[in-house]
Amino acid sequence: MLISTLHTDKSKSQNLILLVFAISLTLLIFLSLSLGAYTISISQSFSILMEQLGIHIGLHSIQQENVLLQIRLPRIIMATMVGGGLGIAGASLQGMFRNPLVEPGLIGVSSGSALFAVIFMVLIPVTSTLFEPLQLIGLPFFAFFGGLIHVIGVYKLSKSQGKTESGTLILAGVAINALAGALIGLVLFFADDTALRSFTFWSLGDLGGSVWNKIPISLVLIGVPSLLLLFQHQALNALALGEQEAFHMGVNVQRVKLKLLIYCALIVGTGVSMVGMVGFVGLVVPHLIRILFGADHRLVLPGSFLLGAILMNFADLVARIIVIPAEMPIGVITALVGAPFFIWLIFNLNHSKTYA
Amino acid sequence: MLRASNIHYCIKNRAIIDQMNLELNPGEIMAILGPNGAGKSTFFKVLSGEIACKQGTVHYNGNLVHQLKPKQLAEIRAVMPQHSQLNFPFSAEEVVRLGLISSSSTEPENLISEIMEVTNTGHLREKAFNYLSGGEKQRVHLARVLVQIWENKPFPRFLLLDEPTSSLDISQQHAVLKILDKLKSRNIGILLILHELNLAIQYADKIALLKNGTIVKTGEVNAVMEKETLDHVFEHPIQLIKNPYTGGLIVSSSPEIISNLSSSKLAYYGNL
Repeated sequence: MLISTLHTDKSKSQNLILLVFAISLTLLIFLSLSLGAYTISISQSFSILMEQLGIHIGLHSIQQENVLLQIRLPRIIMATMVGGGLGIAGASLQGMFRNPLVEPGLIGVSSGSALFAVIFMVLIPVTSTLFEPLQLIGLPFFAFFGGLIHVIGVYKLSKSQGKTESGTLILAGVAINALAGALIGLVLFFADDTALRSFTFWSLGDLGGSVWNKIPISLVLIGVPSLLLLFQHQALNALALGEQEAFHMGVNVQRVKLKLLIYCALIVGTGVSMVGMVGFVGLVVPHLIRILFGADHRLVLPGSFLLGAILMNFADLVARIIVIPAEMPIGVITALVGAPFFIWLIFNLNHSKTYA
Repeated sequence: MLRASNIHYCIKNRAIIDQMNLELNPGEIMAILGPNGAGKSTFFKVLSGEIACKQGTVHYNGNLVHQLKPKQLAEIRAVMPQHSQLNFPFSAEEVVRLGLISSSSTEPENLISEIMEVTNTGHLREKAFNYLSGGEKQRVHLARVLVQIWENKPFPRFLLLDEPTSSLDISQQHAVLKILDKLKSRNIGILLILHELNLAIQYADKIALLKNGTIVKTGEVNAVMEKETLDHVFEHPIQLIKNPYTGGLIVSSSPEIISNLSSSKLAYYGNL
């Protein structure tokens, strides 16, 4: 009896943590709506949003409404989806590979997506009439296939005798990334100046292109696989003991792995095609959650989504206000936070038995 | 019943196990004994459904192992491998809870508490699994596999353990085997790989002796544990002594080994 209360308490505290994250995210979003090159107070933001729901408060000007609705809101939704998606995809991939160092960028999902996205950009010139409709749907799917091919390649390479070796995994990731980098360079060599410039911005991560007509696609292609990943928490917990053990406990390992890879490739592929390469969110976020609240994927998965969204929105906010009226590419900010953390992580891995 | 028939498994045309047959009934403990490299672990993996063999069949309660879905199989048998590595900071309780993934238990919390009590791991509940000692880890894993098959079902269940006592001290070894002994009354059949022959004699109902990928002898303990057979299987002179207190057998390395040694080595032993 006492024990069952204990477990209910645990579920409760997990829910409480998620609630705190959700509230922080909401507050941050309001803050982010208000801050920027063009000043809109929080009450005015609220007034604008209420206006959309048919409640007239009337604290704002029409210009403020346009900035908020047409520029900031889609951008914030995009940051939330991409950041959250990278967080949950990172958590899932780390769980599946049983390796805390795994990150969509490290094991080639991002570079695979990027390579295919670049091929797409060069194949379909911006000036062509096909570009607009194709880019919306075609680019995310193209990037998804690139990511999927790469991650499966890395996975197969790193697997020996039924186990994924960390060392081989990292090496395979490095090799595949190098290959993708070279191929991207090769494609760009034949690209024209416009394609080259859009690639440069995009490769650093850029939320500036977040317009409303991209939002439904990102909501579906990132939101749905993220939700589906949440259902895999038990399987991921079991996989933490090893694939054989998970099988013994009743997990259909092959099917679960395939699902995880497809969901993650969809999320990362869409993210990469929408905003470009944003590093380290997928690495740092799941770690913070595990260090703070333990490794139970029931919490790690939704927690990583929320914290990823928070980190991304925060990075976007910084990127927008640090050099007003210009803006810093968001990938620069996330890497500035992420890289030192990664170094700290590697250092601590050598000295801690937690991950031994 | 767990039945393996004509199991044949080879890697790169080298037979690892050849023509193996085995039957395990619920309520029995069967120990698999044999020298290193005899094919014990491979046989174990075939029985657990982890690896498929080209020839031969494994049936659980009349069902072919590879026709059962992983979830159905998990309700029938639990497996404790020799080594499991955990790369994330789970608590001991969370590890035990993993055993319930395929369970439809109505009272999972009581079950976990009961098993952690039985396996003497209750006090480790909130501790980080990776910081436990080798013996504690092994007991937590034992608790994990026990929760998987503990609850009574309308069909027999089976527990497969690969050297469950390998990192335990003598008192813990006996504690574990006594737990396994109690499982017999729950309609569970137990198959375990052991290296400690005396533990097998003391607790097993049946023994299968393996060598070079074949079963040399299988059957009741007293019928299998014969000096000639053991000498042959382990390629080491073995002596069987009658325990003066219980009347059971005790296995010991034969004194012949001393007499076969060169005089210089004898002198060395003499100095001890």
